[in-house]
Amino acid sequence: MKRRTFLLALSTTLIVAFSSAQTPEPPSILVSRQLAETEGLAEGDVVRLALDAAGAGARPFRIAGVYEPTPDPMRLGTVPREVRMHLPDLLALTSDDDAPTGAEHVARINIALADPANAHAFARSVNGRAPGVFARRAAATGSASTFVVLERFHLAIAVVTIVAATVFLLALTIMLVDERRETVGVLRLIGLPAPRILLQVLLEGLLIASAGALFGLALAWVSEGLINRFFQWRYNTALIFVQVTPRVAALCVAIAVPLGASATLAASWALMRRGALRLARR
Amino acid sequence: MTNAVYHDTVLFADRVSRVFQMPAGPVVAVRDLTLTITQGEHAAIRGPSGCGKSTLLHMLGCVDTPTSGRLLFDGHDVTTLGDRARSLLRLRQIGFVFQRFFLLPMLTAAENVELPQAEAGVPKAERARRTFELLDYVGLAPRAGHRPSQLSGGEMQRVAIARALANRPRLLLADEPTGELDQTTGEQVAALLDRVNADGTALVIVTHDPALAGRARRILTMRDGRIEHEATQ
Amino acid sequence: MNVLGFAWRSLVRQPARSTLGILGVAAVGALLFDMLLLSQGLLLSMRGLLDRMGFDVRVVSSDQFPGPGPDLDDAQTLAAQIAGLPSVRSVVTIRSESADLQRAGGESVRVTFLGVGGSTVRPWTVVSGRDIAADRELVLNAYAAEELDAAPGDAVLVKAFCFPEDTAPPQQTFRIAGIAEFLFDAPDTLGAATTADDLALACAQEAGKADFVAVVSAGDPEAAAAAISAQHPDLRAMTNEQAVGQLQQRGFTYFRQISTVLSTVTVSFALLLITVLLTVSVNQRLGEVAALRAIGFSQRRVVLDVLCESVLIVGIGGGLSLPLGWLLAQWLDGILKRMPNIPVQLHFFVFEPNALAVHALLLGATAILAAVYPMRIVARLPIAATLRNETVS
Repeated sequence: MKRRTFLLALSTTLIVAFSSAQTPEPPSILVSRQLAETEGLAEGDVVRLALDAAGAGARPFRIAGVYEPTPDPMRLGTVPREVRMHLPDLLALTSDDDAPTGAEHVARINIALADPANAHAFARSVNGRAPGVFARRAAATGSASTFVVLERFHLAIAVVTIVAATVFLLALTIMLVDERRETVGVLRLIGLPAPRILLQVLLEGLLIASAGALFGLALAWVSEGLINRFFQWRYNTALIFVQVTPRVAALCVAIAVPLGASATLAASWALMRRGALRLARR
Repeated sequence: MTNAVYHDTVLFADRVSRVFQMPAGPVVAVRDLTLTITQGEHAAIRGPSGCGKSTLLHMLGCVDTPTSGRLLFDGHDVTTLGDRARSLLRLRQIGFVFQRFFLLPMLTAAENVELPQAEAGVPKAERARRTFELLDYVGLAPRAGHRPSQLSGGEMQRVAIARALANRPRLLLADEPTGELDQTTGEQVAALLDRVNADGTALVIVTHDPALAGRARRILTMRDGRIEHEATQ
Repeated sequence: MNVLGFAWRSLVRQPARSTLGILGVAAVGALLFDMLLLSQGLLLSMRGLLDRMGFDVRVVSSDQFPGPGPDLDDAQTLAAQIAGLPSVRSVVTIRSESADLQRAGGESVRVTFLGVGGSTVRPWTVVSGRDIAADRELVLNAYAAEELDAAPGDAVLVKAFCFPEDTAPPQQTFRIAGIAEFLFDAPDTLGAATTADDLALACAQEAGKADFVAVVSAGDPEAAAAAISAQHPDLRAMTNEQAVGQLQQRGFTYFRQISTVLSTVTVSFALLLITVLLTVSVNQRLGEVAALRAIGFSQRRVVLDVLCESVLIVGIGGGLSLPLGWLLAQWLDGILKRMPNIPVQLHFFVFEPNALAVHALLLGATAILAAVYPMRIVARLPIAATLRNETVS
């Protein structure tokens, strides 16, 4: 289905002008921050908006303010050169004199229901009563499912990273545990039971894993700021790209600490299977 | 102590000192020591712990550099040599035997003996021949394919001696070679070292073991970084 | 024993840790490889699809393709003018609307309804039945045919919804000529296509409108685009390359950015972990290293040994990472293709030799950089002090 926008896809026609005290007060509009920055606009300026590149039918509008557009991840990469105006002004600007209903044509109507749970039933009712109109729930498919997919993608990347980290962790813990081979062998020779030694190892592993997890969280928190700042600058947007929420932090700790402790335990258990004498021998 | 430098002198240490800078202050491990090692000499260095025996041995072997004094090997001053030249000297002219053997655990006995030869650029066929000859010399030819973990302490030390002799050094330095061995095994190793010396290699041994020291023709007793007493037999 | 052989023996002496180190590199390397494939994958795939369609220039009314913009009026005249250019071989007009299709007694199905005019070059491939040959014929994609339970030869009622949507055109009866494959169809796309004239008929409008004009150049797309732009300065002629460039700027930039970020993180991660692995390994062997130095191994030799160990771990792991990465890429591609409106034939992870070269370069640099600190340790190792410490301990 074709979709048309009539506004600042044609924004090359902006002309900055100042009104005289004699002409009627032009209607007010808001311009996006990005548009204001690129065109050097400020509150109080009067601009002329037109539908075509030649500027035919241009009308004056006064900039009442500059707003920050709601970041749209689906439009990442597109600098939002946008204008907000009152609907009657937009219709007056864009109406087609040849079309009988030109001044009343809108692309869509957004409805906030008293009870959002009734959205599906409401849409069905509207579709039945008004043929030619297509009503649907706002958050059904489209962009929402895109981000569900992206979330799964990020999760897959995270899983692979965790697997790689676990493998390395195991290698390191085997090496570190092996360093204490003789000590462990001597302890076994003097009578300490294996579970007692494993408990000590587990406690050490928990301590190291907890410290590592906290350090990792601190690193993530710092990276969050850096990544967001970089991408917000890169794409000229207020979108948040990375967010370390309490849930995310808790999940990371819940994965990291048991993994770290388990790796130490697994390496020690493998070591403990050798005889005490063999361990103590150089 | 002797100040004479003979024409068959292998090593001449001329008033060498070694000072270690420690946080609590400098520690003089070797003080103004002069020593001559001649061709075919068999010398033992004894002394209490901390008297500087191992430090002296490391300097003689060009593993450590004197803080002052000179070291002459074959009449050439090696004190100021660069790392590469000192490595070559150790590779070709000096053999080392350590208390803890320091055999490479992932190599067989034969490969451990072959290693310095390969590093010295000896051709493969010659290496193989020499390796077999050395292992046979130390009585371990049948164990050539065994790894250190499969050898006893005495056998490991014998392989270490074979390794030290790989490039036909003029001087063999041994730091407590029987320190980790029982008496019987230690005597076997001592007898092997005697044989090495009898075959022409100068031998300097640092040891606590009076029996081992007693086998040397020249016994130097150190105390506080100096040679306190020297006996010849 | 040469340096590489010695390094190999050092690795196999501790098979468990060496294997784990190599597997870790393989996993990290696989992820790195995939991110390199992702960085250009979508663009390569899109370019491939555009090229496979057979057109190499597209003429639109606005600066964006695809995107919002006014229709091209009098598209047939426009197409004829463009077709007259020497750098142009053939021209097709394309218009897209939507329509409800219904078989007698059946449910209606809303489809994307294409109308193609101009030359006989078609942006679809017939897989069963035949192509459109007569008036009021259409082709369906397989999904639409399945939903309609229709086959070539069946009749369908077409109720079109055409911009400016201020009229309700009457239903028209069309015959299904064949089932066709449309390159840009998503798995859930319901699509149909007919001639431009028949679409205009269904819309109850005058023929002549088009969303864009697709051009097959005579061999030089750039020249064709330039000639078209000169002929029609009010329109925008874009080669496939330019169209992909636009897509990269607008929609695909996220994947490029995330691939850069993840590649950086992956390489840093690998560098850190291999450095730690090697450093711990070297620290556990300081006595041996000091002994080797004492028996005459040069500083250069022991440093090279460490470097070779790093190269071996990363080299073997890197080699394993390629098939692993390929498998991982299939999985990740499958996840991303579930995004709505992604054509079936579009892929996010596409192999190109350049990715392999960059992968090898990055892993090689990682191997060298990871070895720097442990090499420094062995290079600066105080031989005598280390031997003394080993004896005392």
